Amino acid sequence: MDLLSRLKDVEPPRPEAFNQARMVLGAAMTNSARTNAGPGLAPTPEPAPERAQSRARHRRLTVASRRGIGFGIGIGVAAAAVAAALVITSTPQPSANTGHQSAGSKPASASASPKPSSAPSSAPLTENSQLMSLASYIMANDSALPGNASLVLSKQYNDSTVPDNVGYSLYTDSGDYYWSPAESGLPAAIAQHENIADGVDAKEKAAALYAVNGDLTTARDMMVNALPNPFALGLGPAGRKALQKKLAAQYAANLRNPIYVKAFGKRKFVGIPTGKALQSGIDNYLWNNSVDALTQAGGNPQIRAGVLRLLSTVSAVTVGNSTTDGKPTLILTAGPEVFGGAPSDQVLTIDAKTGIPIKSVGGIPGQAPSSVVTYQVSRVTVADIEAGKF
Amino acid sequence: MESDAELISRSLTGDGEAFMEVIFRHEAAVGVYLARRAGREAAEDLLGEVWIAAFESRGAYDGSFAVARPWLFGVAHNRLRRYWRSRPVEDLVPDVTVLAQGWDPWPAVDRRVDTQTVLRAALARLKPEEREVLTLVAWEDLTVADAARALGMPLGTGRRLLHQARLALRNAPGVAALLTASTA
Repeated sequence: MDLLSRLKDVEPPRPEAFNQARMVLGAAMTNSARTNAGPGLAPTPEPAPERAQSRARHRRLTVASRRGIGFGIGIGVAAAAVAAALVITSTPQPSANTGHQSAGSKPASASASPKPSSAPSSAPLTENSQLMSLASYIMANDSALPGNASLVLSKQYNDSTVPDNVGYSLYTDSGDYYWSPAESGLPAAIAQHENIADGVDAKEKAAALYAVNGDLTTARDMMVNALPNPFALGLGPAGRKALQKKLAAQYAANLRNPIYVKAFGKRKFVGIPTGKALQSGIDNYLWNNSVDALTQAGGNPQIRAGVLRLLSTVSAVTVGNSTTDGKPTLILTAGPEVFGGAPSDQVLTIDAKTGIPIKSVGGIPGQAPSSVVTYQVSRVTVADIEAGKF
Repeated sequence: MESDAELISRSLTGDGEAFMEVIFRHEAAVGVYLARRAGREAAEDLLGEVWIAAFESRGAYDGSFAVARPWLFGVAHNRLRRYWRSRPVEDLVPDVTVLAQGWDPWPAVDRRVDTQTVLRAALARLKPEEREVLTLVAWEDLTVADAARALGMPLGTGRRLLHQARLALRNAPGVAALLTASTA
C-alpha cells in the first residue's frame, strides 16, 4: 500500500474550477428553489452578473496552463455562485474621451493608457478616507521602484497547516508573467520564454496606474473592463445596442445547450443589468480585478496606491485596523454584497504603511475560512532571477 | 460542528447553505479523486456535474452515516463511469496512464519513472472493481467499509476485492522487486 502511494501525487483541479463547480451547483439550487412549489431551498438573490464565473472561464480558455491563478481571487468568491447565471459575452470598449478627469488631474504614467468613458458607471462616488489616506501616504513616502519585476510567493491553505498550493509568480514591469511551483523553476521558465501573461493583467495594472492621479470614475470603468462583462460601461447608445444584441444571441445559444439548461434552467433573458444587479456586478469585478492587480504587482507602490484608491470607492468594502506579526495592518472586507448577496466574503490583509498584500481569507462569514492565501512580495530584477540569484 | 448528515437533512427542508457547507468540506478530496482517475482537465469539467448529481440525490442519503465523503465519492464514481462510457470506442480500454499523473517537479523524476511505470502496469491488470477498492483505500484514505459504501457493495465484497487486489499487485511483474527495494 505504501508503494502504491507513490502514484498518489496528482495535480488537483485549480481553485477557479472549484469556484466554477460551486457556481453550477448554486445555479442548480436556485433553479430547484424556483421550480419546486413545495419545500424548496431558501430564496436566493436575483442573479447578478458574476465576474468570478467569467474569470474562471476566461482563464480556462486563454491560458490553460496558468497555474496559480485564483490565489488572488480567493475561494470566498466561489459561493457567489448562488447568484451566478448571466453569461458574459462581450468586452465593452470605452468610447470617445469626454473628459471625466478631475480638474488638475493627470494620468499616473504613460503606460496607464487612459481610456475615459463616455458615461459614468454609477452614482457619485463616496471614497473611504482611510484607504485614500494610505494611497497618498504611499505616493509621498514609498515611491522607490528598485528592480524591474515583482516576485510574489503565494501559499494557499485550505484546511491544513501545510499549503495545498505554492507558487512563485514573476510579473515583469514590461508585462510578462512567469510561474513555477518552485523558485528554482523560474530561470528555466524565463529562458524558455514561458510567458503566460494573457493581457488581462496588463489592463488591470493600467487601470491601477491611471487611478493614481486620474479620474476615479474612469479608472473604475477601466478596471472593470479589464475582463469581458455585460455592464456596458463607457458605451454609447450604439455600443449598448450592439452589446444587448450579443447578449441575446448568447442567451439563445445557451438555451440550445442542454448542459447549460440543466445547470442554470431556462431563465428569463436579462440582458444588460440595471439597478442593484448592475451595482453588485460592478463591485464584484472591481474588487476582484483590483485585488488581482495588487497581488500580482504589489511590489510597485504606484499600483498599490491606485488599487487602494479604486477600492476606496467600493461602498460594500469595509476597512478595519489590525496587527499581523506585530506589524500594523489593515483588513479590507468584501462582504456578501460584493458577491451578489451570496453567503461569502473575502478578507484581504495589507500592510498599514505600504499597502503590500499579506493575506487573503475567503469563506462563509462567521465560519472557519475555506481558503487562506498568504503573499510575500518583493522587487527583483529579471536578470537576477534568470541567473538563479534569488 | 454539525455532521454532514445533519446538514444534508437541513438542506432537504430548504437550507441551501447547509448543502453548500457539505461541498466546502469535501470538495478538495472529491476534486483530487476525480483528477486521479480522469486527469485534471476532465476532473474540472466533471466536478460541477457531481455536485448537481449529489444535490439531486441527497434525499436518498442514509442519515445513519455522519460523514458524507464516501457517499460523495460514490456519486463521483458513478459520474466517472458515465464519463468513461461516453468516450470514444478506442478509449474504452482503461487508461491508467492518467491515473495520478501529477506535476512532479523534474528533480527525482528519473528515479521514479520506472517505479511508476511498473505500478501503473500492475494497476492496469487489476479488475476494475478491485482497482477501485484498492485506490479508494490507498489514495483517498477511506476505510474498506467506506470504500465499499462508496461503491455500493457489501462490506464483505469490499474486503474480498481489496484482498484480491493486494495479492494481484504483489504478484505483478516487477512489483516484487520494488517491494524488496522499498523495504531495503
